[in-house]
Amino acid sequence: MNELDEQQWEAELRRLTPARPPEEFMARLRAARPEPAKPAARPLPVVRGGWDWRWLAPALGMAVVVAGLSLGLAKFTTPVAAAAGWKPDDVQVNEELVSSYEVVAQLPGGEPVRFRCRQLRDQMVVRDKVRGVEIETSSPRVEVTPVRFETY
Amino acid sequence: MNNGSEHDVADETSWEQWLARHTPALLLFARQQADGETDAQDLVQEAVVASWQRHSGGVPPPLGVVYAMIRHRAIDWARRNGRRTNREAAVHLDGPECWLDAGVDERERSQLIQKALSTLPDIYREVLTLKVWGGLTFGEIAEALDIPANTAASRYRYGLQELRKATREVLA
Repeated sequence: MNELDEQQWEAELRRLTPARPPEEFMARLRAARPEPAKPAARPLPVVRGGWDWRWLAPALGMAVVVAGLSLGLAKFTTPVAAAAGWKPDDVQVNEELVSSYEVVAQLPGGEPVRFRCRQLRDQMVVRDKVRGVEIETSSPRVEVTPVRFETY
Repeated sequence: MNNGSEHDVADETSWEQWLARHTPALLLFARQQADGETDAQDLVQEAVVASWQRHSGGVPPPLGVVYAMIRHRAIDWARRNGRRTNREAAVHLDGPECWLDAGVDERERSQLIQKALSTLPDIYREVLTLKVWGGLTFGEIAEALDIPANTAASRYRYGLQELRKATREVLA
């Protein structure tokens, strides 16, 4: 079959259109209109360079509590220092990757979906070099990201 | 205040328009993949609804994705039900459903082409259907069938030739 024959044959086939679906089926489809997808939860902003500013707020909160406590003690013992207050001069927030792995699960509809999981350890250090106070905390965190739907 | 309701109406119109435009070709493809008319309709409904749900933003999903979903689900269902012994045999040659519309004078021709189409191997029939009646590009067909675009193009040409051969004597 040469190119011209091929084009004519294609045109001939296109003259036939797919059969019109049964009306009751179309009505069923129209009624099955899916709800608009809900917007995904807004991820918290992550600043480049490995710093996770989500920890800044609790870190500052803790610094304030520590400062307040220290201030109270200082007030009891050294009134001069109490006037100056407890000031953390160094706050470090960091994260460490502990492990990374993938999991395949099934949605309620039966479709397989792949999740990428990362286990992280968040670390925070608050220091007051003047007073020689150092508070260090760390807590585990798991990030789960759906990667893609499996296809055959 | 009534932005929401206007938006809903627009969504509904776009949903219905999209259905009216694409359902015939989707159902044609599904009929070739499924074991019967009921399964074909269910395949289309599930694939369309799922692809619209996954494609957020109120924009219709790419057609290639919907066709891919129909195909994957058909394979899945057949495997699950243990009915995929021979998909060639599963294609309904003499089923009551008519795959193609035609005027009165072309009805015989349409039935002949449908019969020839149903005897083509899957790999050629799928590409032909998606290209001729689905209106997909070779790139979209490649995405839908998970094959390279060049393979889609060569299967299309071969399928056209085979279909021509199968109908030449009667249609000549």
